[in-house]
Amino acid sequence: MSETASRRLSHHAQEPDLGGVDAGSVAERVQAARSGLAALFQEAERARWHRAEATAADDTGTVCAWNHFENIPTFYNWNNRPR
Amino acid sequence: MQTNATLIDDAWAEFFATHNMRVSISVDGPRAHNAARVARCGSPSYDRVVRGVEALRRNGVRFSALCVVSRPAPGLAAELYEYFLDLGCDVLGINIEEKEGVNTRDNDHRVARVCGFWAELVAAWRRDPRIHLREIEWALRYAAAVLDGTADEVLPRHIDPTPTVGYDGSVVLLSPELAGFSDPRYGDFSSGNVLRTPLPDILSRALDTPWVPEFLAGVESCRTSCGYFGFCGGAHAANRYFEQGRFDGTVTNHCRNSKILLLEGVLDHVRDGESPTVSPRTRA
Repeated sequence: MSETASRRLSHHAQEPDLGGVDAGSVAERVQAARSGLAALFQEAERARWHRAEATAADDTGTVCAWNHFENIPTFYNWNNRPR
Repeated sequence: MQTNATLIDDAWAEFFATHNMRVSISVDGPRAHNAARVARCGSPSYDRVVRGVEALRRNGVRFSALCVVSRPAPGLAAELYEYFLDLGCDVLGINIEEKEGVNTRDNDHRVARVCGFWAELVAAWRRDPRIHLREIEWALRYAAAVLDGTADEVLPRHIDPTPTVGYDGSVVLLSPELAGFSDPRYGDFSSGNVLRTPLPDILSRALDTPWVPEFLAGVESCRTSCGYFGFCGGAHAANRYFEQGRFDGTVTNHCRNSKILLLEGVLDHVRDGESPTVSPRTRA
């Protein structure tokens, strides 16, 4: 990781306990990265299209492995928690 | 099916194809990173893993992969991603090694190392995003939801009990990793036995298992104290127990390694203005 990134992280999240960061600051950092994230979203969407993952309605299982993995409660879906 | 692939031959691969089974391989990258994957006799299993993967490829069986990273270090993420591109998997999940069950190896890594690992992985993936990378997809999904104002809708509304049925019929809920272990305070962690009680009845009485309400209290503590709850949903039961000895703690090393620093690594990558460049593979 670059030195700038290291400094930034240590500024907003002290080692070793990172749990005290409030939700607002996390959301604010995501908002602050909006422009860079937009480019990443576009690339990810193009990549999904090339992987034929955009055809979510197609449940034949030929290509859409990702959809299967992330919608079943296994170790693939690590967000199996209530909101 | 999740497998280390060591027993896969052409007959098995044909069986998987015939029955349209989804196969995922456990392999930790190139040979040098697979020291922890050994046969019962202690000999390295890597060559057998490769032979199993070759059988899948020979028979046209598409597969996913799960990779455990023991010690995040600079350069490792890019090396691993290149490896899995060559391996030919469609989907990849990266697990930072967890202190769990019989594995008591320390997982308290430096923040910069772990954050840098994830940031480097994003950069590697952007150069050639052929693989569906589970962690990146999840991080982007959450970030997009934050920007759309729908972050509260990312996590499922209800916790899934995820029952694990043991060889003897015993049922352990929420964390399969607890199956087979016992504790003076919590017993064997089981919530019943399907040889004596129908599974729906066991699930309906989940809260009678003493550690389950303690875990749910822990989830609520995460919700009220951790800024990353919307992304993570609370520390997993097994990570709480094996790291902290109880279920109502909050931030675990696993939370830091695989949730908090994943999200921060993606954000660091983006803020550093990194963009996809020509892949070293392409240049070569």
